Amino acid sequence: MTTNLVRLLECNIRNSKATVAQRTMRVFSSQQEQSSVEDDEEFRVLNLRTIKQQARRRVIKKDAVPPPRTTHMPVDQDWSAVWSGPRSFHPASVPLPLRQGYTERGAAAPSKYANAELMKIPNFLHLTPPAIRQQCEAIKKFCTPWPKGLESEATWKAIFPVEVITTDYCHSLPTIRHPEARRVTITLNLVDLKFDAHAKDKFLRLVGERYNQETGVLTFTADRCPTRKQNYDYALYLLTACYHESFVTEPWEASKSEADMEVYLFERNKAKLSAEAILNWNVNGEKQAPSATYAESVEKLINEGENEYNIAKYKEEVLKMLKIAN
Amino acid sequence: MLQPFRNLRLTLPARCASALSSIAANTTASSADASPAVNSGQIDKLYSKLEIELRGIDPAVLKSYTWFATTAAEHLGIELGKCWSPRKAHHERMTLLKSVHIYKKHRVQYEIRTHFRYMNFHKLTGSTLDTFLEYIERNLPEGVALQASKTELQQVPEHLQQPPEQV
Repeated sequence: MTTNLVRLLECNIRNSKATVAQRTMRVFSSQQEQSSVEDDEEFRVLNLRTIKQQARRRVIKKDAVPPPRTTHMPVDQDWSAVWSGPRSFHPASVPLPLRQGYTERGAAAPSKYANAELMKIPNFLHLTPPAIRQQCEAIKKFCTPWPKGLESEATWKAIFPVEVITTDYCHSLPTIRHPEARRVTITLNLVDLKFDAHAKDKFLRLVGERYNQETGVLTFTADRCPTRKQNYDYALYLLTACYHESFVTEPWEASKSEADMEVYLFERNKAKLSAEAILNWNVNGEKQAPSATYAESVEKLINEGENEYNIAKYKEEVLKMLKIAN
Repeated sequence: MLQPFRNLRLTLPARCASALSSIAANTTASSADASPAVNSGQIDKLYSKLEIELRGIDPAVLKSYTWFATTAAEHLGIELGKCWSPRKAHHERMTLLKSVHIYKKHRVQYEIRTHFRYMNFHKLTGSTLDTFLEYIERNLPEGVALQASKTELQQVPEHLQQPPEQV
């Protein structure tokens, strides 16, 4: 015990002496700078045995991981400033105790830290209700209200009967083009175009499949041109051409015989001559024509077929024409 | 981000139009910056319907996006129509041999599931439709495709209003 203490004291004294000596050396060396540099350098040792010195391992300095941002977030912060745009999920920025993923039965789902499940799915954290409201208020000035007086479909159909249907596509392909985007469909009701009897018949023959018999809607679809504008022009051209062509009467149209007629017309048929012959029996002066109601009843009887109502109507008209009391 | 482009697009024609003809009834260049959409100098189009079809592999994402789009429409004062989705996804299956060469009885099947969702909006003017569509298209999440069908209303062209006089 005592020997140890003595040794320690000696050591201290030696150290103190050495420091004093160093100080004196320093004072001295400051006067002669050149010599001091040589003194500071270690004495070079001749290394006879070439022992490889161990390569010192590089210590990579890492900054200490800061605590998650969520711990510093005030309760009433502006969330749209924290998460302003689309971004994949980051656990340290979202102050929610989220859990996601599959585990064994009974165990809790993995937490949000280092959870790939939460990063895979696109999130909507930038589109919170306040953010949507804020953005909509900013863009609302570019919107215009729907004009008054066009509230119902019937009111706008009266003024704007033509509908033009086009389609836009937004997708994540390398190209922004879509072959279907060029397609243009124009629809309108047949009653919105003005026709005479001949023109209407011819128009319906020209448009063919484009006319829907049940709804009375004409549909022109064009997708043969490369751009939408061209297709729109082409569809309108088709409509215009069919409409104007339907008013042209070709010379060969006069040769339409009774076998080519699609409907029975009283004016063109034997029934009219017979009725006139009966009415004008032995009449020399003014000739009498059969009544319009009689003509209508005959046309209905033949065009719609013989049903109870048509036959009763025909009988009534015949009795009236022949002046027979029943 | 969106604002400067819009302003540019809408105010420029107004200035040009006013410079060219000051008599035009629609152009009032004095209040061009107050409400640029109204004074752009061109007649607004009318759309009776905007139908949006969404396709994606994740129904939850489509649902969230639908909620976002309908909320935005509500804020912008757009009339909302029917929003719906078919109950089942569309499965596109591909069946291959499990082995490289033989063993025809043993197959492996891959499939792509596509979920659909539809939204309808009614009675939009041209500027409203452009604004709304651009807004929701910019916020489209990755892996979702959007198809927007627009039904524009037009008058009968002038040359079709009366039968042709001479043919």
